[in-house]
Amino acid sequence: MKKRYPTKNRILLVNITRLGDMLQATPTIAGIKAENPGCHIAVLVEKQFEEVCRVIPNIDEIIGIDLNFVVRNLAREKDGINDAYDYMTQMVEELRAKNFDYCLNMSSSAYTALLLSLIGIKRNGGWTADEEGYRVIETDWARLFATSVFHQNRQYNSLNLVDVFRASADVDQHPKHLLITVEDEARKYCQTLIAEAGFTNSGPLIAVQAGASQGKRQWSPARFVKMIKILTERHNARVVLTGAGKERSIIDPIVEGCSSPNVISVAGRTSVPQLAAMLSLSDVLVTGDTGPMHISVAVGTPVVSMFLASAFGFETGPYSEGNIVLQPVIGCGPCNPNKPCSKPECHDTITPELVAHLAISRVGGDVREVSPELADPRGVIVYRSEFDSFGFCDLVPINGKSNDPFIRYRKAYRKLWLDDIGGFEVEAPRKPGALAVIGGDLQGLSDVQQCAERGQRLMEALSTYVRDTATTAPQFKKINEDISELDRLIEELGLAYGPLGALTRMFVFSKENLQGSDPLDLASQMKSIYQDLERRCEKFAAYYASV
Amino acid sequence: MNPLEKLAEQMKSDWDRRVGHDYRFWMGEGHLDDAQMWRTGAEDFASIAQGITGTSSAVALEIGCGVGRMMRAAAERFGRVIGIDVSRLAIDKARELVGPTPKMDLVVGSGVDLAPVESQSVDFVWSYAALACMPVPVIAQYLVEVKRVLKITGVARIQVYLGQEMLVHEHDTLHLRSFAPDNFAQAVSLAGFECSLCSERAISDEGSSNLGIKNCVVQLIPTSRAAASSEDIAKALLPNGESRAAKEVDPAALEAWMALNYAEALADNGEAQKAKQAVEYVVANCQSATIDTQDILSRVLSKATRGQPDGGESQSIPYNSQETMYGENLAVVQDRFPKVFSQLIAASHTDAGDISVRGTRDGAVIYVGSTCLDHAEKPQAAGEAWVRRSLLEQRITKAQKIVVIGFGAGFHLQSMIELCDKPIACCEPNISVFLKALRVRDLRPVLSKLSRLSVGEDTSSLEASTGAELLVRPQSAIMHAQYVEQAKSFFYSKRGFSELRPRIAVLGPFHGGTLPTATYTYQAFQRMGHRVRGIDVSGFNDGFMLLEQFVKNEGRQGAMRGQYVELVSQVLLETFNEKPIDILICMAQAPISAKALTELRNRGVVTVLWFVEDYLRFSYWREMAKFYDFVFTIQKGECIEKIKAAGAGEVHYLPTACDPHFHAPLDLSKEDKERWGSPFSFVGAGYHNRVQTFASMANYPFKIWGSEWPTGKPFDRLVQEESRRIKPEEYIKIFNATDVNLNLHSSSERDGVDPSGDFVNPRTFELAACGAFQLCDERLLLPELFEVGKEIITFSTREDMKEKMEYYLARPEERKVVCDRARARVLKEHSYERRMEQMLSMIYASKYETLRQREGSSPWGEMIRRAEGEPELQERCQRAMMRGEEPALDGLIADIVTGKGKLTETEQKLLFMHHVKSQIIRMRSEESGARK
Repeated sequence: MKKRYPTKNRILLVNITRLGDMLQATPTIAGIKAENPGCHIAVLVEKQFEEVCRVIPNIDEIIGIDLNFVVRNLAREKDGINDAYDYMTQMVEELRAKNFDYCLNMSSSAYTALLLSLIGIKRNGGWTADEEGYRVIETDWARLFATSVFHQNRQYNSLNLVDVFRASADVDQHPKHLLITVEDEARKYCQTLIAEAGFTNSGPLIAVQAGASQGKRQWSPARFVKMIKILTERHNARVVLTGAGKERSIIDPIVEGCSSPNVISVAGRTSVPQLAAMLSLSDVLVTGDTGPMHISVAVGTPVVSMFLASAFGFETGPYSEGNIVLQPVIGCGPCNPNKPCSKPECHDTITPELVAHLAISRVGGDVREVSPELADPRGVIVYRSEFDSFGFCDLVPINGKSNDPFIRYRKAYRKLWLDDIGGFEVEAPRKPGALAVIGGDLQGLSDVQQCAERGQRLMEALSTYVRDTATTAPQFKKINEDISELDRLIEELGLAYGPLGALTRMFVFSKENLQGSDPLDLASQMKSIYQDLERRCEKFAAYYASV
Repeated sequence: MNPLEKLAEQMKSDWDRRVGHDYRFWMGEGHLDDAQMWRTGAEDFASIAQGITGTSSAVALEIGCGVGRMMRAAAERFGRVIGIDVSRLAIDKARELVGPTPKMDLVVGSGVDLAPVESQSVDFVWSYAALACMPVPVIAQYLVEVKRVLKITGVARIQVYLGQEMLVHEHDTLHLRSFAPDNFAQAVSLAGFECSLCSERAISDEGSSNLGIKNCVVQLIPTSRAAASSEDIAKALLPNGESRAAKEVDPAALEAWMALNYAEALADNGEAQKAKQAVEYVVANCQSATIDTQDILSRVLSKATRGQPDGGESQSIPYNSQETMYGENLAVVQDRFPKVFSQLIAASHTDAGDISVRGTRDGAVIYVGSTCLDHAEKPQAAGEAWVRRSLLEQRITKAQKIVVIGFGAGFHLQSMIELCDKPIACCEPNISVFLKALRVRDLRPVLSKLSRLSVGEDTSSLEASTGAELLVRPQSAIMHAQYVEQAKSFFYSKRGFSELRPRIAVLGPFHGGTLPTATYTYQAFQRMGHRVRGIDVSGFNDGFMLLEQFVKNEGRQGAMRGQYVELVSQVLLETFNEKPIDILICMAQAPISAKALTELRNRGVVTVLWFVEDYLRFSYWREMAKFYDFVFTIQKGECIEKIKAAGAGEVHYLPTACDPHFHAPLDLSKEDKERWGSPFSFVGAGYHNRVQTFASMANYPFKIWGSEWPTGKPFDRLVQEESRRIKPEEYIKIFNATDVNLNLHSSSERDGVDPSGDFVNPRTFELAACGAFQLCDERLLLPELFEVGKEIITFSTREDMKEKMEYYLARPEERKVVCDRARARVLKEHSYERRMEQMLSMIYASKYETLRQREGSSPWGEMIRRAEGEPELQERCQRAMMRGEEPALDGLIADIVTGKGKLTETEQKLLFMHHVKSQIIRMRSEESGARK
């Protein structure tokens, strides 16, 4: 793989607020460690996650930042602002003193970018901010990360964010699954819980994570009840409902609805390490796109996961081989994560019978095929997770041929990015001219391409102007206006033609990240951005044609 | 009638009489206005009910509620408040003052019991400045009653005096009783209470505090014990019973003495009528008084009638010894205060006027006219008492230096030097008084200790340094009122300008000619670097005017307008809630209700009205003046007196002005000159006198601009552009394009120039600032603003006007000279910035302390102090404070712009905090909404 910063010594990983993000970074952490023997890896996390980080392998130092302290004091306003400010000053000074030479921040939040700009680490794999407060994304992979999570582009992406994150950090060698340490004490605690549960069945132990981070991603308790009844009544299964204490309002009704000695809830009774232990003792986990899903993957327990509403399996699916992902096929999904849904019809596409069947099948071993009668691919696609030859996670449909209109784009983009920014030898690119064959399939692409060509010409003209001392202000003004207009057109084409969104968004992010102030240097940087765009258009068309 | 009933009758008649005379003096803590009475009522209630939390269902009861001074405050905390008082007149007054409110029951009581109140029905009983005046058997009876009406979970708080027992006549309803603490504890225990002390403070009255009497608030919690008989309780309270013949504490004497002192204060204040009423009250009601009130009575009468002082004997000090003393004192002055020394030498031969000296047992005291500058009999003790009292004032405790105005014979200064270790400066406005003092008392100990001394009425010699505080002798405040006002203004306004940054809001009217004035005022403050907000409510005007279309009946229209203004007032209150202010400057006709102004004052906001109207034509000041701490007028004399009498806090003259940034000479295009120009022009509305005057000018090259003009001849030709209202940016073009601008002040009564017209309109200043020539009608107040004949040309009649119009039209050079002078004058003296400086200096003069305290309590101060090690953060805090931002992060980052150059580290940190806050809050709300 093409590497931007091949060697790293003192590394800061910024993963401030979410446990899931931390887990998804574990292959990257392990990879950095493997590729840079003797390096020091520190993670910057919110104070409350410090404890959890104990069970993340390969971390040398955990730095806690107390954002609650900042927010609490800011809420007081007045001299609370001074308190927050003093805390920040102290934090920044401490972080500076640690002399990190590389930072990987995959949080797109404005505040982490500002914090990193304040610390002033020179080499970055992810987001930071420049001196003027602008967002800076240095690497192509990180820009692809930002491009892929841009809502309009999500459907066209098939690269798991764990891999994009990993590639941002130049990591080739990785364990192909997430990592978490299961502690003996926690395991014993869970064994006791299971022993004392009073199960009358003796079959597989199936964990069920019913809670989800958003209401619209929450499969209904009634469906869970029906699914669990099938498991316990027909398959002799023992079921453990996992979750946090605050999820009991969802979980308790399920337990009551099942009314079976073979269904217990440990919601609120397990810490994160204990939950990891419980999942390690289970045969399979039935879940949505949740933190426990990632933990399960990390402890090696396969998952049957439902990607409802805004969740998208390709993006954040279970990162290890042989998991099952259910992705509803519905015009509105995956929906915008920031919008509520009053009628989540995507839930109806997945039946309790199907989930129970998949769970029991997965207990029995790897599932590589599901009958379309059981899971109609027009309503739901059942995927199996696996790794491609480049070590990137992928999802392969196993319930027959679907009419998913995005498949072809996804495949083309996957090849494009692995080739163009990863430097992998995907396949021999087709000769130019393929575009003409494609015709109406990739509407707007030739327009974008023409823009990219024109951009290069404008940059050449600009360079000439800069070199020529006789250039007048109106001439500069005119060319600047032309460039702005052109860039605007490119962005608008990306918005008008959905499949091109990722190409143009990558272009926008690249232009936002021009560095330095020398006009000639800037013109040359811009020219290469237009070149990138043109080349990517060509490759995309070629890969699209070859799919 | 049993003895208790007799006492009740006595109390009833005593208090009805007093309330009938002056409720505020006898029952309202002596306040001069109701607002002050409510304020202290609220403060006192807050103090006595500290820590008591009311609920909407809780019931509170005040024994001796008087005119309801504390009831309003109590009603804010409790669901129902009962006030009981023996005086029917007091209760009637209370009802009138507080108005109908379902929360309050105001009840006339028997004076000895709480019969109208049900047993065990009250959560909180309190009594303040009431029980101490009641005869002991009555107090005992009330204790039994309190026990009866209190719920078992209830609490009583009563204010009493504890310490040395004070013997009081058994029928006395005025003297304060004081009980031995042990006896009091025993008595309340017998009444069935646990008692504890909530607060105590030594009372400032010098005699009482020497006796160790303390003003206490006592908390009573009912126990399960039944109350003993009221006789037993009374006996425990005062084992020897009350005096039946205590001549030295004759109640009538006290009443007479109090009323006469009040009369004297009123007379000193120039309120002769009220002073006489107080004297009449004494004559009518205190005939049995056993003290000799002749002296004080005659003083009051002479002041009230502005008569000459009573002759009396004087100068008990022989002339020779006077000269020796003078020489010795003068030597110290020469040594320590050479400037004062030369002043004295220069003035020593001038006429001492009506200054006289009288001997007392403490030494000579000085009189100016009939006013004694020291206490007439006990100058030493009185001087010391004044000093002690003054030293208790918070601002004085905190001061680093004290500046005393008034030297008198120096008794108080002697005490001040003995009792206070801070540097003391003194200023005696009357040089003759000081010369006299040097002759009659050995002042060397005082003179050698004063840190600074000045004499004469030049306030600039005052030391207004930071940390210095001004103390004014009451006599000086009266005799040199103007000087003291100037001194205060000099002292505090100077400090105000350097130390204060109050948050000012300027509220304009819905519409009309004053609207631009509000803008000019706001902009002036802004240019002066003040934290100012312009509150433009003109957008509400459409709604206001719309009312007329829907409601035709004038009475109802008025009512609807009132409600509309009330709505706007509520909006204003909300905006001031969100972004608090310290000073509200309302322009004339600003739509704000009495209720809102009262609310703002309760919040400590200084309310100001700049009444830029003719007070005779617009009379709403009669109702509204009392809601303003300051009213500034454009007229003098009777206007100021009347608005003062209507209850305004302070009234000052402050003419309008111009905004030289807007009203300025213009370089007009040919088209503009053609459209707006004319040899003669007038801009303004068609008032009666203008119509009468200008009707005769059809044959002049004359343009009239403005609304409300007749449509008939000759106005159909004279009035421009269909008599529409002319905007400010248009009329400055007219001013600039016209050769001779006419400025005739409006009158609805006269046919031409109003001979009694006093105020000067804004147009006068605006024309001058534009460098435009004007002919202005004669105004009484004009000569002090412009030099007539040189800086402005005036006319007195229509003929005079026409004559001058022709004269000046023909002489552009002469016009130019006048214009240049006029413009120079307004730029120097008549800009809105100058006016606002004057306004603020008057506000600071009396509100410096209030505003300083408000600012001191503002969190910005602490934030700026905390940011000491971070100069940029500190500067940002200061800038945000100056912009009038709230002490919040949003205010601090309001002026950070990303992408416009390199962000500083401080800016990055602040932005970081801002983003953390918004993101974490968003995440939390997502989490809490996850289940929805």
